Amino acid sequence: MKTASRREFLITGASALALSGAIFKSVQGWLGEALQYAGQGLQLPLKGTLAPSTNAQLDPVAHALNRWTFGPRPGDYGRVAALGTDAFLEEQLAPEKIDDGLCDRALARFSECWWEPLGEAYEEDAEYLPPVLRRVAILRAVYSQRQLFEVMSEFWSDHFNIDLGKGDCRYTKIADDRDVIRQHSLGNFREMLRASALSPAMLWYLDGRANVKRTPEETPNENYARELMELHTLGVHGGYTQHDVMEVARCLTGWTILAKKDDGFSGNYLSPLKDRAKVVFRKEAHDQGPKQVLGHDIPAGLGEGDLDRVVDIVAAHPSTARFIATKLCVRLISDDPPVAAVDTVTRAFADSRGDIKATLRALFATPEFRASAGAKFKRPFHFVVSALRATNAQTDADRGLLSYLEKMGQVPFRYPTPDGYPTRAQHWHSTLLWRWKFALALANSRIKGTQIARTELHTALGGDAGVAATILNRQPSAEESDALVKSGDSLALLLASPAFQMS
Amino acid sequence: MSASINLSTNRDDRRTLVVIFLRGAADGLTLVAPVADDNYHKFRPRLAVGKADAVPLDDVFGLHPNLRPLEAAWKDGDLAIVHGAGGESDTRSHFEAQDLMEHGGVAAGGWLGRYLRARGASQSPLAAVALSPTLPESLSGAPSAAAFESLREFAITDGRKGVRKEDFARAVQRLYALEAGALRDAAATTFEALHRIEAIDVNATPDNGATYENRYPFSQGLRQIAQLIRADVGLDAASIDLGGWDTHFTQQTVIEPLMRQLADGLAAFRRDLGPRMASTTVVVMTEFGRRVAENSAFGTDHGRGGVMFVMGGGVKGGRVLGGWPGLKPEMLEGPGDLPVWNNYRNILAPVLARHGAEPASLAQIFPDFALQPLPLYP
Repeated sequence: MKTASRREFLITGASALALSGAIFKSVQGWLGEALQYAGQGLQLPLKGTLAPSTNAQLDPVAHALNRWTFGPRPGDYGRVAALGTDAFLEEQLAPEKIDDGLCDRALARFSECWWEPLGEAYEEDAEYLPPVLRRVAILRAVYSQRQLFEVMSEFWSDHFNIDLGKGDCRYTKIADDRDVIRQHSLGNFREMLRASALSPAMLWYLDGRANVKRTPEETPNENYARELMELHTLGVHGGYTQHDVMEVARCLTGWTILAKKDDGFSGNYLSPLKDRAKVVFRKEAHDQGPKQVLGHDIPAGLGEGDLDRVVDIVAAHPSTARFIATKLCVRLISDDPPVAAVDTVTRAFADSRGDIKATLRALFATPEFRASAGAKFKRPFHFVVSALRATNAQTDADRGLLSYLEKMGQVPFRYPTPDGYPTRAQHWHSTLLWRWKFALALANSRIKGTQIARTELHTALGGDAGVAATILNRQPSAEESDALVKSGDSLALLLASPAFQMS
Repeated sequence: MSASINLSTNRDDRRTLVVIFLRGAADGLTLVAPVADDNYHKFRPRLAVGKADAVPLDDVFGLHPNLRPLEAAWKDGDLAIVHGAGGESDTRSHFEAQDLMEHGGVAAGGWLGRYLRARGASQSPLAAVALSPTLPESLSGAPSAAAFESLREFAITDGRKGVRKEDFARAVQRLYALEAGALRDAAATTFEALHRIEAIDVNATPDNGATYENRYPFSQGLRQIAQLIRADVGLDAASIDLGGWDTHFTQQTVIEPLMRQLADGLAAFRRDLGPRMASTTVVVMTEFGRRVAENSAFGTDHGRGGVMFVMGGGVKGGRVLGGWPGLKPEMLEGPGDLPVWNNYRNILAPVLARHGAEPASLAQIFPDFALQPLPLYP
């Protein structure tokens, strides 16, 4: 979607009503918006081949759908089985070629996410934008056809975690989500890293904006420099020292963002609103001396050029390839991925110089990936989204739904520390009660703003057996079948079952 | 069920911290009025609490008569009061002041969340709760925290008036029992917590003759927190709000019923828990206090220094701590506000230390701040 100024948006809205020629379009848009407001009009028609898997175990098609999407929708199994998993992967690796009309419709009223310049976001109340960003994240995961892209966007949002609760992140994360994460989700790691280093939200979140050297006595703020190496690139045992942290911090001195008033770091940049949160390099606050980072000499006087040198050094470091490969394998293979898989993915990342598509192709081709069906415990976000997709639900992703994610502890963009939401199962096992309650509530359309057409779903999928196989992505076991009959609410039990918690 | 699962004894010194946030900026000079200060009556000719009406505390202060139910806690030395309490934000913006206070500064996550993280992950799905529709920012980042408005939500129901789904629950239990390892154990722990809550009779009469006013949701919230504490479900921290303190107009008509609610809930809670109050601390806080001088609409505007309460948990109460410089016009800040001379962190830090926070973790819970904890304990 095209970026637009907030003012432009407001003006367009107003003038559309005034200009007769535009009235039809406006009314059409307004109707769409009103429908979406109630979470309506977002159910996919249940037609075509809806036949689920006939296998007793998760087969390669089911496995691909579990890992490359936030869970299959009715009909996805048949489509991918016909297409073949290789072709499905290539389709998903080219998201720009996938039509995404349904998702665009779901997002139509959230123009905030495309506002430029960013500074105008500050015209909103401080409480306004965070729920918008959270709803958009959920709606995309539920409705987008570009599923692997969404899965990877979630992955990188944790990798470059930013908590909206800190300072101005509530305003600036819009741009980070758009220009850092989603711009590079399936792109090049080095480019994403560089964009992140210059993201207004990251400059806020990890205090880069306060990293200045104006006098010989002033010590740079090393917060970002440390996390850059510990969490974004090399990993904590990746071979850097405290000296490297200080040197990286020195290299990045002077990069700050324009503020409303001089907060001690932004100097004399008393900017107009449209320039607020704009990233600038303040030469007089930069440490011009020579530096040495991870054994590489950086000569004096490069000024803002230091940043690219640092990004090159850390992005190309062998520890970075291993660190990123390990994280990808933990997310996409298993909590303790086999070393052979990590080795393969590390090589792919290094050989491709951080090409994310090439890295993912290598990962999904490993025997370890193929052998890992059903091995991952879904995190709450994944669980909730997969349940909505499996039941062809329509949702406004507003409070009613968010409150469940809150109870399960995974509200988007609300993780406080820079390491991002944990990936391994152990952290999330205490959320079972709320998963079961969510399953009951969703199955019976008792979540405000979220509905399923249960009877229609039941009929379209061919009754109990079809529903069970669609949701489990395989045929139910004898024990499961018996429990479903006795549960009094088979749809809820399917969503609450141990099998549905796994992917 | 595995014998190793025991929610109540994972720590010997089981203590619960209850945080009450008075949203809207409560007027400390009405709650705990400096009735002996002539300037107080000059600044507040129409709104001051009369000396004869107040519940006497010491030579300077008296409680507003609507807070009389707290007199027993004060006399028993179980209630400490801090005046001039607040944060560093001087924008007098409710949102900003609450936000900064709940985050414990310009920090990611809430102070209560960081405290709970420092304690380590709890076995209990009920380690942290908020009696509210959503989690407050202070609990943001807690290892697990649940927001709910009624204990009845802690049951396997379909969301409709708490109708229990017994067959469904049995089927869930059966399927998880077939699993291996951690997932099976997690389900077993969850069912045990559910059984403990199920055993709580939500309609049971509170202990020690305590009565919580039925009409006050705040009192009913505290009643449920007391029930969780008594049921030993592993509750480390609970949060509950009492809102509506933004008294710009006709202050008395707004603040007097609120004080009645606050006092009713706190007094009933203390009586209900009885000896368990020794290991339960209640903190009452607000984002800032109000302008010293009343305004022309019988109200007060946004100010700076406010009041905080610490009740129970072994606090050395019966004292107004942290000093009181008197209401001299020359000491007022900005448009005429009581300054903040007791940063809220210096009150919370000793409470958290009492609840097991190590000195090193206190520095992480309240980053970028040189703590000078108030001497709350003997």
